[in-house]
Amino acid sequence: MKIKYERPVIKKMNAGIMDKFGMPSQYDPVKEIDGVEVKQLIHQYGSPLFVLSEKQIRRNYQSAVRSFSTRYPKVQFAWSYKTNYINAVCKIFHQEGSWAEVVSGFEYLKALNNGVPGHQIIFNGPDKKAEDLRLAITNQSLIHIDHFNELDLIIVICEELNQKAKIAIRVNMDTGIYPIWDRFGFNYENGQAWTAINKVVKASNLELIGLHCHIGTFMLSCSAYEIATQKLCKLAMRCKTELQNTIHYLDLGGGFPSKNNLKGALTGTDSIPTIEEFAETITSTLLSFGFDTNEMPLLILESGRALIDDAGYLIGSVIANKRLSDGRRATIVDFGINLLFTSNWYDHQISAAQEYSQYTEETVLFGPLCMNIDVVRYSINLPLLETGDQLVVHKVGAYNMTQWMQFINMRPAVVLIDTKSSPHLIRKPETLDYLELMEELPTYLNT
Amino acid sequence: MKKQFVYYSDTVLNSYSILFFSQNKVFGLILLLASFFNITAGITGLVCTLFTVLVMCKLGFNKEITHSGLYSFNALLLGIGFGTFFSFNYSFFLWLIAASLLVIIVSVNLTAFLGKYGLPILSIPFVFVFWLVLIASNGYSGMGLVQKDSYVVFELYIGNARVISEYVNQLPLPNYLALFFRSLSAVLFQNNILAGILIAIGLWIHSRIAFSLVTLGFFIACLINHLTGTYPDGISNYHLGANFMMISLGIGGFFLIPSIRSYFWAAITVLLSFLLVNGMTRFLSIYNLPILSMPFSLLTIGLLYFFMLRIQPGKLRLTPIQNYSPETNLYQYTATKERLKDFHYLPLNLPFMGIWTVSQDYNGQITHKGDWAQALDFVITDLDQQTFEYPGNKLEHYYCFNKPVLACADGFVQEIIQHIEDNRIGQVNLEQNWGNTVILKHAEGLYSKVSHLKQLSVKVKLGDFVKQGDLIALCGSSGRSPEPHLHFQLQTTSYIGSKTISYPFAYFQEHNELKSFTIPKTGDQVQPLETNAYLKQAFNFQPGYQLQLNADDGRIETWETLTNAYNQTYLYCRENHAVAYFVKNNYVFYFTSFYGNKRSLLYLFYKAAYRVHFSAHAVKDEYTIDSSLFKPQLWLQDLIAPFYLFVKSSYSNSYTLVDQGMEIQTDNATIMLTQHGLHSITVKQSKTKTNIKCTIKSI
Repeated sequence: MKIKYERPVIKKMNAGIMDKFGMPSQYDPVKEIDGVEVKQLIHQYGSPLFVLSEKQIRRNYQSAVRSFSTRYPKVQFAWSYKTNYINAVCKIFHQEGSWAEVVSGFEYLKALNNGVPGHQIIFNGPDKKAEDLRLAITNQSLIHIDHFNELDLIIVICEELNQKAKIAIRVNMDTGIYPIWDRFGFNYENGQAWTAINKVVKASNLELIGLHCHIGTFMLSCSAYEIATQKLCKLAMRCKTELQNTIHYLDLGGGFPSKNNLKGALTGTDSIPTIEEFAETITSTLLSFGFDTNEMPLLILESGRALIDDAGYLIGSVIANKRLSDGRRATIVDFGINLLFTSNWYDHQISAAQEYSQYTEETVLFGPLCMNIDVVRYSINLPLLETGDQLVVHKVGAYNMTQWMQFINMRPAVVLIDTKSSPHLIRKPETLDYLELMEELPTYLNT
Repeated sequence: MKKQFVYYSDTVLNSYSILFFSQNKVFGLILLLASFFNITAGITGLVCTLFTVLVMCKLGFNKEITHSGLYSFNALLLGIGFGTFFSFNYSFFLWLIAASLLVIIVSVNLTAFLGKYGLPILSIPFVFVFWLVLIASNGYSGMGLVQKDSYVVFELYIGNARVISEYVNQLPLPNYLALFFRSLSAVLFQNNILAGILIAIGLWIHSRIAFSLVTLGFFIACLINHLTGTYPDGISNYHLGANFMMISLGIGGFFLIPSIRSYFWAAITVLLSFLLVNGMTRFLSIYNLPILSMPFSLLTIGLLYFFMLRIQPGKLRLTPIQNYSPETNLYQYTATKERLKDFHYLPLNLPFMGIWTVSQDYNGQITHKGDWAQALDFVITDLDQQTFEYPGNKLEHYYCFNKPVLACADGFVQEIIQHIEDNRIGQVNLEQNWGNTVILKHAEGLYSKVSHLKQLSVKVKLGDFVKQGDLIALCGSSGRSPEPHLHFQLQTTSYIGSKTISYPFAYFQEHNELKSFTIPKTGDQVQPLETNAYLKQAFNFQPGYQLQLNADDGRIETWETLTNAYNQTYLYCRENHAVAYFVKNNYVFYFTSFYGNKRSLLYLFYKAAYRVHFSAHAVKDEYTIDSSLFKPQLWLQDLIAPFYLFVKSSYSNSYTLVDQGMEIQTDNATIMLTQHGLHSITVKQSKTKTNIKCTIKSI
């Protein structure tokens, strides 16, 4: 076999001893995903390309359910639509038994279209339109109230429809972490939550059946969940004893981290708690709180990121190599922040898709946009890439396929590799026709 | 007024039909008619019955028992006996009334006395009083009772509807067939083929099984006589009818659930009856008394008590609930044997939460051998059937380690061992074989044991009462346990190391399938059932629950949940008094029986919600064969039912989540549930579709 040519590099000597981050990483190439070759995927569906592993999604889901359901008798997951609402993905979660958690009118309709019965849809978020609420109330969905104006609106709509609504109150609280997420829901410490609860219980058309909190995102501390669980339990008990209103479920929200490398994190990914640890904390708090065995509230979890992040890959190709003014190497690839919104938060792990020698070079990874900010990694050690080589970005399943931009470039295709290693196109690459579908040209310009 | 008339007429008819252990009105009417073949006896019989019913009602005896005819049939026999054997005169009526009263008193007292032992009185009061009357009238001619015919009372009445009777009696019937009919008529103290034919038709309408048993009794008795030559002139039709055939019917089809075994015993009792009949005849001839049906009564009661005293009844079963129909008894028994397992076993739950995998089942190859063969080992596995997360060299890597272990049923903590250290992966502790262990006592002779628990993880104390599902310890790897797993077994004694017994879990889920009263196998992924709140809420028929139903064809019914003296719950329809018994626990709701108007809405609901699992798993079940209606197409099945059942009537349902709740679908009905409970029922029958709206009046 012909030995591949690699350009010569000069690099500072590194004896390979351990530093505080551990041993230098190995750069094993990732040539295939779930048994399908990266090159074949690019060939078949184009570059760049999002790839999702059905097996990993199911594995994650079952593992999370196992962690909770082997510790607590009544557990329900609700798939957080905003994390990834491609229908194929949602359907996998629903097949596994997940309810739906939505935060807007269109997400709500998407959940209905995916066959989720109304009473298994949780409607969150600060912006629920009157029209959306009407539909949700008629369908007996679980509406999590965010502010008093919404509460008032729901009371009016219920009267107008002459129907009862199933309500939960979103509570925010001090769980010992900074910053406190206090912009959603009603505060626990200053008594607003209790005021809201009283108002719901007194309203004849509202039925208070749950309490909800979501204490943050990418939480790295289990103790915050312990405090949150404790506070929700106290509130539930108070509802029962003071208002004779049984709380049927406690929704602890999501916020469990994935194994992604947060920017600026000193400890790497090893210190990220596993779902097992969160489950142990939450369920032991619930079990020891003192609910009657027959009146244990249902525990709802809305985890998104932790269930899908590592099931998503972005594969792309090298466009060019260049050297910057200060002598650093730069590589331009065909995916940028337009597709990798999460590169704002994470130093994504990126692997090459083909074999190289052991030599690596520190590189700035630029995206394809004509924008200065389009940087995927400011500094990454990569093998000596050449134009046309492929890269694989890991753990991109969460948020990227919902927060991606159609800016300068169109959005690429999304492929799902099923459990038997066959790829399926689940979202076609966008076209100009698609882009212009919604556009209207005033007639006077149409000459 | 109408209600009262129906009550009295029913009671009278029941008094007749109960002579053949039946409550069939048609059969009762036929017997009433047949009794009038001897007009005087017919009249006195009816008069005595009416008299008794009146007395019972006026004196305030239990209306239910009176209605069944149990108090009055002895008086009926007495009346017929009097009318048959004594001539009408002034003193006749005086002594008839006196004797009737005596029969009533003896009947009531004896019913209460024998009732304590669960035994029937049969015709003992009649025989006893009739003997008294015979002895008295023989000794004191001044009493004025004059016997009609010659002294021999066995010479029974041929009847005075002479024209037809003689015509029939001269029909060229084979001897044995004629004897068969004459024997049947002997129950009414007759010797009349026509009456016998009528009774035979009535008996067939009432029950095919009863008919076959009567025939069996007749056949066996004739066969024994033929072989032994006990009675050279043939058996008298009275002995055949009142003793041999009746005891075959009573033992083979009424007091025992009809089966090949009960038929066998029926044949045996006929043989025993020979001894009793002959012995007693000889003995009573000293006093010039006929034995009447005393051998049948004594032998039946004796055998019943004998069967009751068995400790392990096996397959020969006494009738648990008397329906006065061998068919109904049999069909209900077969159905409930399958359907009422909730009462045969203590309902056990899996001793953990979430999905676990059976790693070793009963008679497992690794350690479940010999006296300890009926045990189960559980672990938790992932998508790749691994029990641990990479690399698996620490206890914490194992999914089941440190997971809660629950009480499988209510019970007391009998034994705790928790000081034994957990092994390192791959090592076993053969000295403290069972490791940390908790034994719970659920009932006398029923203990459950969980072993290999984590050191010092037991959450309960010795002597504590724990409820099903309470956390008792954490899963570990102590004792003979190379990797964390949970060992579970049931035993009859309280010791660690006791031998195991086979015992099923009541309800659990394997993959997505519902399992009830089964023992899981190696490799099964099992999970405690999760129940659906809508289903549970909708079928939560607590006593006092009231539901109003409005059908679109204008029918309105109100149902109420009630309980009877045995704590059985049932839905009662106020408008048409229909009753549907049901059983409900944490996991399942099912109907057990329905009585009353089959055109009621309650009957539609009984059929539609025959069995509902709160876990929303599709269910299959078999309806109890309904033998209460006149259904000639079932006759063949009835006849061979004690040996083989081929008619099946299946029930199945499925559940669909809809936006506002849930729908239960069966072949022809849909039940819609919302969070408030039952919402509506839609039933399709042939071409008509009935929509029924449900309104909950009280919970």
